[in-house]
Amino acid sequence: MNTRRIPFPTLLRVETRKLFDTRGSKIISGVLVALAVGAVVGRGVVSGPELHTVAGTAGIVFGILLPVLAILTVTGEWSHRTALTTFTLEPRRGRVMAAKCLPPLVASVAACAFAMLVAVPVTAAVAAAQGVPADWRVAPLSLAGWTATTVLLTAQGLALGTVLMNAPAAIVICLSSTVIWSVVGRLGSAGETAMEWLDLNTATIPLVNGDMTGGDAARLAVSALAWIVLPMAAGMVRTMRREVG
Amino acid sequence: MIEFQRLSKRYSDVKALDDVSFTVPAGSVTGFLGPNGAGKSTAMRILAGLSRPTSGSATVLGRPYAGLERPGYEVGTLLDASAQHPGRSGREVLTLGAMMLGLPRSRVDDVLELVGLTGKEGRRAVGGYSLGMRQRLGIGHALLGRPRALVLDEPANGLDPQGIHWMRGLLRDLADSGCAVLLSSHLLHEVEQVADRIVMIGRGRLLAQGTPAELGQGRGLEQTFLELTAAADRSLA
Ligand SMILES: Nc1ncnc2c1ncn2[C@@H]1O[C@H](COP(=O)(O)OP(=O)(O)O)[C@@H](O)[C@H]1O
Ligand SMILES: [Mg+2]
Repeated sequence: MNTRRIPFPTLLRVETRKLFDTRGSKIISGVLVALAVGAVVGRGVVSGPELHTVAGTAGIVFGILLPVLAILTVTGEWSHRTALTTFTLEPRRGRVMAAKCLPPLVASVAACAFAMLVAVPVTAAVAAAQGVPADWRVAPLSLAGWTATTVLLTAQGLALGTVLMNAPAAIVICLSSTVIWSVVGRLGSAGETAMEWLDLNTATIPLVNGDMTGGDAARLAVSALAWIVLPMAAGMVRTMRREVG
Repeated sequence: MIEFQRLSKRYSDVKALDDVSFTVPAGSVTGFLGPNGAGKSTAMRILAGLSRPTSGSATVLGRPYAGLERPGYEVGTLLDASAQHPGRSGREVLTLGAMMLGLPRSRVDDVLELVGLTGKEGRRAVGGYSLGMRQRLGIGHALLGRPRALVLDEPANGLDPQGIHWMRGLLRDLADSGCAVLLSSHLLHEVEQVADRIVMIGRGRLLAQGTPAELGQGRGLEQTFLELTAAADRSLA
């Protein structure tokens, strides 16, 4: 009999399994893959055989669905009250939460690699079908920045889900933030400054373009602090203290 | 052994538990009896480390729950049979538990059989289970790690008469093999036939404890229960 605490890799396997073990989670994961492939193929057909553009289109899908998946992962125990059994088997709630946060982050990196992998044959096929030469140029820095952006948006989903403990609220905030910031950005120079420093979507643009300056890095750090680090820290405190019933 | 020591829990406007102390010895079934809202679930949630007491403490095998390295091996808990993801199959619920405890998958099959869920039922989503089936699943989940203490909150709710009969036999066998069993109910008849000891609470206060024979002396167990809970209600009215 093993009475030492549950090894972290075991918690990781359990929480990863929960991403695929209900009808709902299977549907989301399936939709994610289907939409990513659809976006890559569709963009390839419409805009021609440019690897960078074709692969990048999947990012739009990832930027929306991976944060949603992340939110559902960290709020699931509260929405379905399964926290009652999960935190009874592992009372160290921080370990459970860490095991929940890792899979969506890893999935974000994997999703970008997957989009690239799908984009290569699509680019080649479109080039052959349209009889034009394919453009294979991809700036490594931009590719890394694109992947990092996907990871950051997923992390934002994790943080908002953890602090709000409520999937609909976190999803609404995550998805409507683009709209809200584009309004704020039009409210004079103060609004513009606020957007530059506090909107994660705006702050990650230089990352995707692969042309970060020192000022860009500072703006990215501040917006990541506001939307990832602080909510996650507050969320962990809430998770530790919350009475489960 | 399970111990509650001078446990109190205050929610903003109610004293859910007021200085409650009792012990569940190894090798016995202790019935935790009290009307709705008496504080039974609160006490059990505090024991499982899910809720913080205002004062006092609860321990399992001499240690606070949070101090147990892998609690599933020491104490099995069923706190709310309905608290399950509706889209997950019963077998999957047990599989996740077995993974956390590092148990082989064969233990999942054993437990399904033990609680009387067929292979087909195990593959169905819990959302389609009756309350009785959820109770069986929850009891099975609590038993996965062959724990030495068992804490079941209203497990007889929704069980049919055969189910209650089955559960009594199961708990008797477990207690006879040395397990400390704490079983809550708001219905006397669900606990009186299996409990070696009964702890009665009402309005957060301990009303009486002892063997069914001791508590029923003179006026009968049911009358004792009714009189004590009525007196507790009056004192707070
Ligand atoms: N989370 C909570 N917030 C406020 N009051 C609560 C909470 N949980 C329980 N209570 C109150 O505490 C008392 C005891 O409840 P409970 O432990 O559920 O009783 P029982 O399980 O014996 O029916 C009740 O008055 C209930 O309303
Ligand atoms: Mg209750």
